[in-house]
Amino acid sequence: MNGLQSLSNDLALAVERAGRAVFAVNGRARLGSTGVHWRPGLVVTADHTVHVDEEVTITGPDGRALTARVAGRDPTIDVAVLKVDAPGVAVADVADSDAVRVGHIVLALGAGPRASWGVVSSMGEGRMFHLDLTLYPGFSGGPLVDPQGRVVGINTSGASRHWQLAIPAAAVNRVVDELQRRGRIPRAYLGVSTQPVRLPEPVRQRLNLDQQTAVIVVEVQSGSPAAAAGLTIGDVIVSLGATRITDPTDLKSTLRPDRVGESITASVLRGGEPRDLQLTVGERPRRS
Amino acid sequence: MNALIDIAALAEQLRRVTVEVTDAGELLGSGVLWPAGCVVTNAHVVRRPEATLRLVDGRCLRARVLARDAEADLALLGVPGTGLPAATLAEPDTVRIGSFVAAVGHPLGVRGALSTGIVCAIGPIERNGRSWIQADLHLAPGNSGGPLADAAGSIVGLNSRAAGPLALAVPMSVVTRFVHAARV
Repeated sequence: MNGLQSLSNDLALAVERAGRAVFAVNGRARLGSTGVHWRPGLVVTADHTVHVDEEVTITGPDGRALTARVAGRDPTIDVAVLKVDAPGVAVADVADSDAVRVGHIVLALGAGPRASWGVVSSMGEGRMFHLDLTLYPGFSGGPLVDPQGRVVGINTSGASRHWQLAIPAAAVNRVVDELQRRGRIPRAYLGVSTQPVRLPEPVRQRLNLDQQTAVIVVEVQSGSPAAAAGLTIGDVIVSLGATRITDPTDLKSTLRPDRVGESITASVLRGGEPRDLQLTVGERPRRS
Repeated sequence: MNALIDIAALAEQLRRVTVEVTDAGELLGSGVLWPAGCVVTNAHVVRRPEATLRLVDGRCLRARVLARDAEADLALLGVPGTGLPAATLAEPDTVRIGSFVAAVGHPLGVRGALSTGIVCAIGPIERNGRSWIQADLHLAPGNSGGPLADAAGSIVGLNSRAAGPLALAVPMSVVTRFVHAARV
């Protein structure tokens, strides 16, 4: 057998292995999506494909239809977790996604299973994987699989119009850990509304900032963590903890569920002068 | 690295058994040199009773359509002469999802172009439709009737059309059934 035949066998075996933990998810009207049996009784899928808030029908690799319940969501990284009683369905072999490098061969799986392949094209914000492969209709929420059949991420075509993306397994694990620890996925909350703003060149030079843009606070909700920290309208947030904030999306993706309760330093410009404010990340009040 | 060298050898192997199907100088599509002196292509490639086949060595042969099945999108042409190379055929229904596949054809008039990918799925693309080998591989007009081969170079299907980025190939089981029926 030559190298190509052996690669071909590996890929087919990887699809077979990973496919045992793949569900079809019927969480929206027209097009179904895919989910991964991440831990016993917990199926991870792409949040944007689950339009219902309570019960979802999912179909296992054996064709059995099961009723799942939405256990939690993290829209900041497009992950939803469904709770289901699925005895006999294999649990995915989740690998260390930090070992994934640009250029690695990966497979994307959809329910069925269906498969496509390509390479990791680049690393995006928060180590999101940019993929050079086709995510076919219904592939969102499905596993990104390495040639050994291990799951290294969750694919989503919903997070960007320009890229095929995968959420690294490490980020999915953080969300699932939170769910198992607290019984729900909290939504991190600061209580500000912001807009992007261009940093004037003299300010950038004086303060030695290499970013072109930041966000300006246009609203502070009373009683919020932002208000408690003394943040006011007109403050320009340059960074939060170690993360540069260049637009409101950066702010949103920094506020992961596991940061609730964490104290972080916000570097702001007030009247052109830098100052650091200490913020405690709160939890978004739940709708009653 | 070995796998990459093997792809180049595979492309050469497939080019030897892939013909250009033309008529009055116009490229109609691709075809596969089948064992026992015939060529299999798509029915939509050959609409007239005869066509000209151009081999990889530049030889041109006039061929007659022996059988057509528009529904299966298959046609069988008889080739005069002997000593022609012939494709190696895979056992029907042995192809696995995720396995490597390669297509050779003449997309948009580019001779002997290779595209590679994996088997995405096997089955219909619409409810109650016919079964296809669906490959995650790029096809263009001119690929029709050309071979879809596995990593060993054995033919697993006949490329028929594209559905967006997905290649649809007639599975080997359907092709062999058609060829057997046509020869009786």
